[in-house]
Amino acid sequence: MHITDKLSSSNKSARRVRRKFEEAKSLSITSLLDELTIILVFLVKNISTEAVKISSDPAIQYPTTITNDELLAKGVATPIKIFPDRIVVGTEALEYGSPADLLENPKKRQDLITYLSAEVNSILQQKDAETCLLVQADYSIPCDYITEIVRAGTAAGYSYIYFATLEDADWLQKYNLSLAQQ
Amino acid sequence: MERYRPSAMRQQKSQTIPQEPNLVPIMNLFLTIIPMLMMMVVISQIALLALNFSQGEGGVTTGGGGGGGGPVTEKVEIHILGKNYAASTNFLGMEIREPGVATKNIPAINGFYDYPSLDKALQEIRSRKGNLNDITVLVHPDVLYGDLMKTIDLCKVHGFSQVHYSAPKVQYY
Repeated sequence: MHITDKLSSSNKSARRVRRKFEEAKSLSITSLLDELTIILVFLVKNISTEAVKISSDPAIQYPTTITNDELLAKGVATPIKIFPDRIVVGTEALEYGSPADLLENPKKRQDLITYLSAEVNSILQQKDAETCLLVQADYSIPCDYITEIVRAGTAAGYSYIYFATLEDADWLQKYNLSLAQQ
Repeated sequence: MERYRPSAMRQQKSQTIPQEPNLVPIMNLFLTIIPMLMMMVVISQIALLALNFSQGEGGVTTGGGGGGGGPVTEKVEIHILGKNYAASTNFLGMEIREPGVATKNIPAINGFYDYPSLDKALQEIRSRKGNLNDITVLVHPDVLYGDLMKTIDLCKVHGFSQVHYSAPKVQYY
């Protein structure tokens, strides 16, 4: 240390006085907690396991409809997804084969009925459960395949059959416009 | 006298800072549950169309779907004709058949089904038959699924709550 520093440090009048800061107040998280509670209640109210089963598939081009029927409150749905090139069955998304197998392969058709019958039996073991078959098909699927699916579903014992669509209140107006432009 | 002074009584209380409840565990719980629930939320919610079945019609097996299935007294049928049928008859479109009424043809426009005309026709039927709830849609095998859904949808829009689905036995000569 230099002597001048020593002298300056001993000079009390030149000593810096630090300002005493107030203690920082703790951040209140009450409002955040309120917000999270509201979100949690909203999500719990709206979510259901059934919604997971009938979630839309991006690979399917759904037809649009104005009306929207509610799934039965006690309905347990078995989804069948009909893509243009394949069919996926059940909540486990089991690969069934191509749509053409429904018409051309009697064994595969019987396999589908057997699987659906097993599903019906497992649903009926639940108390007051209603059996619902949920058909999710691409717009471009010929109705021949849909008829076969419906036939298999009714043969297996499903009481209710639903078709999945996308709700669009204006599809008729849009269709009218596209017809007029042609 | 001094002991009754209010200021003196107030000062006897302890001046400690009130303890805040420990919110960290509940915050952790929320931060776990909320992302999980948000992942389960379906953003693109699909709509559903319930279906009924006609007794002893076509190839579709009978069943009690959509909460109905009673006898159909006033039978109104919408036939959606396919392109294979059109190749033999030169008519592509839809037919509305009612007992005692001439069949109403709704021709397709440039190969597309004329839903606006079907909408008007159903509106006209509804104005004549206010109590009718049942209607049958017969669809040819080569008609697309989307066209079937649009037809059923229009029926439901006009108050035909019991829409029956049937597949006609098609024979091409």
